[in-house]
This record gives sequence, structure tokens and C-alpha cells, in this order.
Amino acid sequence: MNNLHPYFFIGCLSLLFFSDSLGQNTKKISGSFEKAPFSQLAGKIEAVSGYHFYYDPSETDSLRITMTFDQITVTELLNRLFDKTDFRYAIDSPGRIFITRHFTIQTRLPTSLTDSGRIRSRPEDQPILAEDRETQEKTKILLPAENKLLEIGDRTRRPAPGKATIAGYVKDTKTGEPIVGAYLNIDTLSLTVLTDQFGYYSLSLPKGQHILKITSTGMKDTRRHIIVYTDGKLDIDMQESIASLKAVIVSAEKRSNTRSLEMGANRLSIKTIKQVPVVFGEADVMKVILTLPGVTSVGEASNGFNVRGGSTDQNLILFDEATIYNPSHLFGFFSSFNPDVVKGIELYKSAIPEKYGGRLSSVLDVSMPDGNSKKWSGTAGIGPLTSKFVIEGPLKKEKTSLIAGVRTTYSNWLLNILPASSGYSNSKANFYDANLRITHIFDPKNTLYLMGYLSSDQFNLNNDTVYKYGNRNANIKWKHIFNNKSFSLVTAGVDHYQYSVSDDKQPLNAFRLGFNINQTYFRSDFTYSPGNKHVISYGLDAIYYQLHPGSFDPIGKSSLIIKNTVPAEQGLESAVYLGDQYTVSSSFSVSAGIRYSVFNYLGPHTVYDYAPGLPRQTTTQTDSTFYGSGRFIKTYQAPEIRLSARYSLSNEASLKFSFNTLQQYIHMLSNTISISPTDIWKLSDPNIKPQQGRQYSLGYYRNFNTNTIETSIEVYYKQLDNYLDYKSGADLVLNHHIETDVFSTKGKAYGVEFLLKRLTGRLNGWISYTYSRTFLKQDDPLAGEVINKGKYYPASFDKPHNANFIGNYRFSHRYSLSVNVVYSTGRPITLPLAVFSLGGSTGLYYSERNQYRIPDYFRTDISINIDGNHRVKKLSHNSWSAGIYNVTGRQNAYSVYFTQENGAIKGYKLSIFGTLIPFVTYNIKF
Amino acid sequence: MSATSKKYWLVLLAIGYLSDCRKPYNPPVITTPNNYLVVDGVINTGTETITSINVNRTRNLGDTVIGGIPELNAQVAIVTGNGATYPLTDTAGKGIYTSIPLTLDINQQYGITIKTSDGRKYASDLVTPKQTPPIDSLYIQQPYDLTFYVNTHDPAGNTRYYRWDYIETWEHDAQLQTGWTVVNHLIVPMDSTTQTFQCWSTVNSSTILLANTAILAQDIVNAFPIETIPNGDDRVNNKYSLLVREYALTADAYNYWLLIQKTSQKLGTLFDLQPSQLVGNIHPLSNPNEPVIGFMSASSIRQKRIFLYQTNLTNWQHNTNVYQCDTLGIPVDRTDYRIYTYPDTLFAPYYFISGGPLILATRRCVDCLLFGGTNIKPSYWK
Repeated sequence: MNNLHPYFFIGCLSLLFFSDSLGQNTKKISGSFEKAPFSQLAGKIEAVSGYHFYYDPSETDSLRITMTFDQITVTELLNRLFDKTDFRYAIDSPGRIFITRHFTIQTRLPTSLTDSGRIRSRPEDQPILAEDRETQEKTKILLPAENKLLEIGDRTRRPAPGKATIAGYVKDTKTGEPIVGAYLNIDTLSLTVLTDQFGYYSLSLPKGQHILKITSTGMKDTRRHIIVYTDGKLDIDMQESIASLKAVIVSAEKRSNTRSLEMGANRLSIKTIKQVPVVFGEADVMKVILTLPGVTSVGEASNGFNVRGGSTDQNLILFDEATIYNPSHLFGFFSSFNPDVVKGIELYKSAIPEKYGGRLSSVLDVSMPDGNSKKWSGTAGIGPLTSKFVIEGPLKKEKTSLIAGVRTTYSNWLLNILPASSGYSNSKANFYDANLRITHIFDPKNTLYLMGYLSSDQFNLNNDTVYKYGNRNANIKWKHIFNNKSFSLVTAGVDHYQYSVSDDKQPLNAFRLGFNINQTYFRSDFTYSPGNKHVISYGLDAIYYQLHPGSFDPIGKSSLIIKNTVPAEQGLESAVYLGDQYTVSSSFSVSAGIRYSVFNYLGPHTVYDYAPGLPRQTTTQTDSTFYGSGRFIKTYQAPEIRLSARYSLSNEASLKFSFNTLQQYIHMLSNTISISPTDIWKLSDPNIKPQQGRQYSLGYYRNFNTNTIETSIEVYYKQLDNYLDYKSGADLVLNHHIETDVFSTKGKAYGVEFLLKRLTGRLNGWISYTYSRTFLKQDDPLAGEVINKGKYYPASFDKPHNANFIGNYRFSHRYSLSVNVVYSTGRPITLPLAVFSLGGSTGLYYSERNQYRIPDYFRTDISINIDGNHRVKKLSHNSWSAGIYNVTGRQNAYSVYFTQENGAIKGYKLSIFGTLIPFVTYNIKF
Repeated sequence: MSATSKKYWLVLLAIGYLSDCRKPYNPPVITTPNNYLVVDGVINTGTETITSINVNRTRNLGDTVIGGIPELNAQVAIVTGNGATYPLTDTAGKGIYTSIPLTLDINQQYGITIKTSDGRKYASDLVTPKQTPPIDSLYIQQPYDLTFYVNTHDPAGNTRYYRWDYIETWEHDAQLQTGWTVVNHLIVPMDSTTQTFQCWSTVNSSTILLANTAILAQDIVNAFPIETIPNGDDRVNNKYSLLVREYALTADAYNYWLLIQKTSQKLGTLFDLQPSQLVGNIHPLSNPNEPVIGFMSASSIRQKRIFLYQTNLTNWQHNTNVYQCDTLGIPVDRTDYRIYTYPDTLFAPYYFISGGPLILATRRCVDCLLFGGTNIKPSYWK
């Protein structure tokens, strides 16, 4: 940050004048450039003259032009520009300018060599014809830049000992899409850096000559031979590895698990995600997350997921920085993320970076692509239940790109054609989602990102009660690079989540029960890398919440429903953080961070007071206090510590440790007995303390077979404080004082996760097994009751055994078979055991809390994927995916519930995918 | 893909997706007989009072019987902290075990022991008796519907936790009065035990009524609503009586009853409550894991009765002549006017016309017992 160049303004200040009265060759131009890339200069010249430049961007990407010129010809300009460099140029008669290095292109037959005014040649250069050069290039067309020596920085300065920093973007050469998580590494220096979410990297290295290796999942490994004079920029293009049969999906991930500092982090590209068979053949981010070790869900087709014994509300789900409260569509059958607008995911389970906060268990970061910056393209998919369409392309080439996607379902007609006897002919279900993302590059140092997201769901299951929910998100991000060592990202946005239940069939009791969450946020993140040993990140963020925890309204004039609205809640969560990733040596690195978070519960709100020393019940409310708008009702604050360390035992094995403390100021309460979820979100207030978590974890990572097989074992132990559980008989919906129906528990969770992964070769995939337990304890008699005699009891999402197998077998380039096997212990349930009569009243006698379990979950899916032919130049690529979901037809329980029928209490098990389900999906990419 | 193959997979999909979604869920733990002991009652520490404990068993979820299954032939006794025992006996064979009139020393602690006929033993914790303060008043208010309220207070401030139950009794008369009834096909005059003109129905409360004054400076319960009768309800067509009983509770007992109050709500709605876990103070001695339902308290019981006539009420929707009463005449048997052989049981004798036919009336118009209750006038009925 000490070196704030005024570079941002250069685009505005650079001037370029042409005096047009003279002929083309002698056309005079004027201008001024300050550290401009060559492309900028070339563009300006092209814009005002008839010349066209032909050059290899990877060769000129280290060039920075600082010069002022007045009324000179293009030839003079180029002479001045390339003097004392190994760049050469040639201009032919149609006005094409060829820029090359080390050799000069001959634009005429050798007999015209006499016209030496056009061609600068040096003795060591052997001029060749442009056509010859082209054929030469073709023979090694895939890696044109690999064998070049790239000069970085200002050669004119005397080479001095010391270090320089190079930085730039790693991008897909075809689409211009930045590549996240690409590894740049210099073996001789044991240096490794990763590109960030924007594909940006910064690498500090000794001046001089190096070989930089770049690897990334799904991309061909590449290398750059560089010579570094001073700080400079180096953008790197990578090529997609199209044929992944023999060569590798790899490299980044195969190395990452032993080399990266991150612990308990899973990074998956959309390519990997798309290989996992899922129901209805649609690649699904959430379903794939559920196959990772340590991640479970409460039940099939349920919303959300549980990470390492955490509850579903303890996951921060970010979609391009926007918080998504409900990541599922259609009762959880689909995830809210259209796979064609997802670039990849990162899931942090244990070492949660200090820039994230507000949730205890995990951070799921779903990233969106920037959109193809080079040409317009799109994908379309047709499946049995959904269709989707995505288009992407440059609004302005290499400057502004756009990606937009829509997805919708047409399941209504499917439900409608069912015979009445199925009992589902009255059901309706539909959803849609839409994404938009615009990336605008002002100049190499300033990029603006705009995103918008909209999702909507509506369903009713054979009755007239209609459930609706939807996410609406928008944000704007500005990335500014100060210099090679530091950059910032400033984000501002709004998130909205709403859900409702309504029934207007019977006019007399037509109702609508509605909830919503609104948040407005601002984040600023700064990264400073003074050298490769340290990456310092710091920042500030703030979220303003407004929750409407429930309103019950009549629909229509004749409805007798009495309006009942739980007052809105407001809160402000703000945090500052500072962290440092310190590479002590090539085998030992530490990351330490601190986050200080403050939560203010804000008015207007009425807060109830309770008699001290008595359980919080409606009868012990002593008073209530009204706080006006904007008043600070209650403030909670706490430091959060994020520590992790890696020690490499060898090239193929490492040991990692992490310790985290976290705070969460928002709580989700769920009415789990009924089959229709009506979740209540609640902010911490004077009566409900923030949830706190501490996690210790230790992992051992070992790769085999030249890093093509990776294995890991991670153990963790977690402690939770103030986790909310429900009092017996708790009434959650439309409760104006929910503190009377909940109590805080102490929790502990522990587990061990095994992962065996092979991502290369004909047979690839992974096997994971997780043993995890979560227990809660409520032994405070002041809560009005103790649960299970004050002993630890399993949390409602405690599922000890989870095993997943994902396997892909490629028969050929076009045919592959995928198999997915899932097993998990059934979740705990509190069962009613008997009916009693006491004091004239009839009630249900329940077991101890969470004493029993619903049946275990088991499912196998198979799919066959057929790709169209692999000709790269083909206008459109299509693929088929066909398969069977739940091959064994097991009736896994989605929900278990009890209802009163003719005086008896009847139990029901609801399974959604009760038999095997075949599916076919067709995808087209153009 | 051709249109026909498209149809094929969609149909398959429909079958898979939506058939057999809902299956009965009956894990063994629910279907095995879950007949847990339920102990319902209060050790009455009033002067010369009877303690009555209802011992029964829970029924399974799928059972449709109403009420508990009576536990017969058990040995039930009140035990005191100093070792004395007072046996309770089930005189009616309905699982209701009662004591002789007792005056228990309120300075002792009391509990209950049960030995069932299969030899299993149960005992409650010993509890300290609480003195129930008298009900200060039981009164009604009727803006439109009718509500009964109680006021009570404990000047010593020791009670704090209260429970009430009530017994309501109402008189429902037949629309027509007859002096005749039929016994063994003979028409005989009615007496006070066979009359069918005046009936009285008695129903116990079916909700748990609780209040506490824990946060109040003074131990005063003011205007606690006991029962609300909707306007026009025919329980108050004639004369109505409500007997309210008040029990003092310990805080533990109060919290137990609070859970009972919550667990007796409806299932399967959007507004479902979380399951309640009941941990009472009655323990199995034979098998420590066997659940026992109930919380044994010891207290005096205070009660108050109120009588009400519809004329006490304002703007009450009185439902008169609800039934159409048909009459018909049949010839009297010539040999013996008392012989009654009319086959249609929907009719009953109404009156004789001298020298003429016997007039019958629709049975429901002359027999109030068809609507339940008893034809024996309760002793307290004024």
C-alpha cells in the first residue's frame, strides 16, 4: 500500500493525435503513455491509423511502455520503442505490423532486401517469411509461449541483486475466464503461490532467470521461462485439457492437499462436479458437497447440509459473495445453483479464513465465471424436469463480458398427468432461477463485477397449502490492484430471502404465513504480499440485518383469520480482521488471523424482561421495554482466533493443524416434526446469546503413486456454546417471545474423516468415510427442565456413519460410466411411544430426546455420459447423460411424522424417491 | 430422441417419483405394547378427607380406546416419612384407589407406593405437603360468551404455583314430561329413580389449568379463567353448576404439569410443538428404565361451587324446541291397559286419554337419558 501509483487514471490521460494530411507511411502521431501495456498502445495506433498489429500477447505481456512522443511516424515510434530490446517489427504493404522477438519477419521476397528502410534487421537475426513462421508455429501451436524467454520489467535498468514481484492473471486462453486456484510454482526456490478467486496471483522472487510452472485442474500444465529485471506483470494463458483420457485432470488438486496451507478445505471445479451422477442428470453443487467427507444432510431432499456435526444454519453459503439462505429448489431435489453458471466451489470445514465470519461450521463459496471475454457462446440443457439456458460473451471484447443464465422447471404438467389414484394429481411444484454477472475491466488494475441472482420456488403437495420461497441477491465488487504486492476488493450488496405458506381454498380461514430476511452488506478486503513468505490480509465488513420472523395474515375479506405479526428485528454485525500466512520454510507454514466481531441488536423492538432465577416462561415475564428505532438494545462482541499450520513430512506427506473460534449471531429454529418445514430465523438479542464454537483439528495427508492418489485422515473436536435447542412443547411459529421456548445448550462434536481420491486415469473418483458425533447437553434447571436427565444427548443431525463412493470409468473419449453410492446412519428422532390420560387431559408420552433413529439411508445411482464428437472446432458440442437414480429402489425416509386419525395416532414414513428413477438429459454447448 | 421414447421415460419417471410416497411407519418400539403406568391424583392433606388416586396404563398409539387402561388389583398406599402407611383400595374395580377419610399431619412428608398384580413395585419421591389457600371467589363474566373466573390468594405467600380442575354438571330436561315408563312390557308410573324428564350430566375438565405468581410481589391470583362456554351452548339451557378444585403445587410439579399441558395439543399441523419429555417423581423399583407417568403432590384441596341459571345471563341465544316432537295415539290393550307392545322404539308412552288411546311421543322428547347423564338428582343440586 506504500506505493500507490496513479495508474488508475492512465486510460483517461493518455493522448494520441494523428495529423492525417500526409500519406500512410509518413502519418505523424503524438501521445503519452505511462506504464501502459503494449496492447493499449497497439490499440490506440490501430484506432487512428490504418495499421493492424500482429503479435503474440504472451510475448508482449511483460512490456510496459512509458514514453511521450510528438508528431512522429509509426516507424519512428516503433524504432524508439524497441530500441535496446529483442523485439523486432516489420510492416508490410497492406499496413500490417508484425511484432516478433529475436527474429524479424520478412514481408517481401528476399530480393527486395534493398528496401532496408522498412525492415530493421540485425546480423544475428535471420529474416524469415511470415508464412514460414506460421508453419513453424503450427507445429507447436499448443504451447507457443512455453519455450520463450520472457522478460519481465525494465531491462534498461541495470540488473541489481534483490527481489522483484511479478503479478498477473491466469486465464483460459479460449474464453478469457480467470482460473481460480491455479498453482504457480518455481521448483528451484520451493516457491508456490495460488491464484485467488479472480485468477490473480502475486509472486515475489529473486531477480534473474526462472522456470515458472503453472498447473490447474482441468487445464494443461504449462510453464514460462522468465527473466525478471524489475517488478512486472505477467498474464498467463492456459489451455483446457480437452482429452482427459490419458492426460490428467489433475495437478492442482493432486498436489494441493499436501502442499496447501488450507486444512479441511475442499475445492472442486464444475468439471469435477459434473461427473457425479445425480437425479435427473443435472449436475448439482449441493449433492456433490454431500459426498465430501464430513458433510451430511439431515435427510434426502432436505434443504441445506451439515458440516462436522454442525447444524444447517451454521454454514455460510456465498454465491459470488452473496449470502444464500436457502440453497435448494423443489424440496431440496435441486440446488439453487444453476451448474452452468458455477465456476467452482470451495468448502472450508476447519481452517476458516479470518475474512469469513458469522457462521460456526463452514463456509461454502460458490463462484461464478466472468463470462467468455473473447466470443459469444452458450449452453442449453433439457432434462425431464428442468431446462436451462446460459449465454456468455463479450459486450466489449476483452473489456466487458457477461454471463446470464436461466433455469426453470416444468414439473407441473408431470404432476398433472398422474392418475387421480396416485394421490398427487392435485400437486404442483415449480421453480426458476436466473443469474447475471457482468465483468468490466477498466484497465489492468481496476475491475468491476456486478452480479444479480433470483430464485423462486412454489409447491403444494396434494392439498391447498402453497409453499413459496425465494432468494434475491445483488452486489457490486470493485477489485483494485495498487501494485504487484497489494490489492483490494470492495463489495457492497443486498441479500433477500423470503418464504411463505398460504392457503386460500376456504375463504373463512384463508391465510398467509410469511417470513423474510434482508441484509445489506459492505465488505472491504485488502491483501498485501510483501514477499512470498507473508501474505497479509486485512479488512472490514458490516452486515445490517432486518428480519421479519413471521406474519400471519388473512387472505380476502371473508377470512376470519386474525392478523398476527411478530415484530421485525434489526441487527448490525461488523468485524475487522487481520491475518498473515507465513511460510517459515518450504516445509513449514503457519497462518494466523484474528477477527473481532461486534453485534448490535437494534431497535425498534420490544424486549421482555424475566424474573431472575426463574425459568423464562410467559408467566415469569416481569416487564417489557420498548426501544425506539436505531437504539442499541444489546451489544455482543468477541475476538475470533483462526490458526492453522502445515508441516511437510516429505514431498508426498504432510501434517496439518488448525484451531478456530467463531461467533454466530443469527439462529435458525426449525419445526422438525411436521413434514412442512417452517424455519424461523432469529437474531441474538438480550435473551438469546450468540452461538460460539471452537474447533481443533488435525490432519495427515499422504499422496501415492506420484501424486495421482491422495489420501487424508482428519480428526476434529468441536465445542459449542449457546446452541439453541427447544424446550419440551416449544411453540416456534409466530412466537413473540421465542426465548420462552428455547434454551441454550452446550455441545460437543468430534469425528474422523477418511478420504481416498484418484482423479486421473480411466478409473477415477473418491471414497470417503466419516465417523462423526454431535452431542448437546442441557443441565441447567433454570431452563425449566433438564433434557435426558442432564446427560449429553445426540443432536437432531447426529449421524455417526457416513460413507460415499463416487466412481467414474471412461471407456473412451466419448463414453463414461459413473456410479455413486451413499450410506448414512438415520438421523435421530424423538418418538411418541404411548398415549396417556392425566388430569383429564390426553397426551403423548415421548421417548428421551433423540433416543431413536429413522432407518439408515442407502442409495446407488448409475449414469452413462455420452459426449458428442470431440472436434474442437465443431460449431456446437452436445452430450447425453442417461442413468438410474436409486438403482436398488430402497425407500429411504425423507420424513417421519405422526398424525391423529380416527382417534388413533398413526405414524408415517414419507419417502420421496421410493423406487428407481431413470432419467435422460441432453446438453448442448455452442 | 423420438416422441415415443420420450413418453416412455417420462412414464417411468412418474411411477418412480410419486408412487408409494407415504408408508405407515411402525418401528417395533411403537408397536410393542407400551403400557406404562400412569398415576394420577393428589395426596389430600386436608382434614378428614379422602385421597383418590387413579392408577392406569398408557395405550399404544394405534389404539382407539378413550382414557387409560385401569390397573386393577394393585396394592396402593400412602407412605409417610416416619414409616406409617395408609392403604388405598379400588372399591369400584375401575382402577381408582381411595383412602378412608384421613387427617394427615402436614408436618410429615408423603409419598405413594404401588405394587401391581404382576409384582412390580413403584414409589414416588416423598413430598412436603403444601397448604392450598381457599378459593376467594368463583364468578362469571359475560360480555358475549360466558367465562368462569377464580380469585385466590395466599397471604403468607407460600403457595405461588396453582393448578385447578373442575367438574361441570348441567340439568337437561326432556321437552315433554311424561309420568309413565315401561318395565317388562308394562307401563308403570315413574318414580324419582325412573323419571326421564330431568337429567343431569357431569363432565370432568379436559384441560390443564395452571397459574403461578412467582414473579408477583404478592401471592394473588386474580381473575384466572377456568372455563369459557360459548354463547348459546345448551349446557346452560336450564341450570348449570361448576365445581372448581384448587391444588397448590411445588415448582417442580408445576413444570411437570406445564409439559402435560403442552403435550396434549394437536399433531400434524404447521404449528406443531416440539415433543415433550416427561420426567415425573414416581420411580419404578424393579426396572429402573421403565417409564412412569405422573407427578405425585401432597396438598389440601380447596373447592368452590357455583350455580347458574340462564336467567342470570344476558343476550344468551336460547335454543328451544330443537327437536320436532311427533305424537300418535295407539289403542290401549283391552285386557290390561298396562301392556305395551308397540314395536317402534323411537316412540315412548306420553299420556293416556281416559277411555281413549294411549298417546305416544317421539322418545327423545320424553326421555332425557337419551342425551346422556343420570336421572338421579345430585345431592348438591338445589
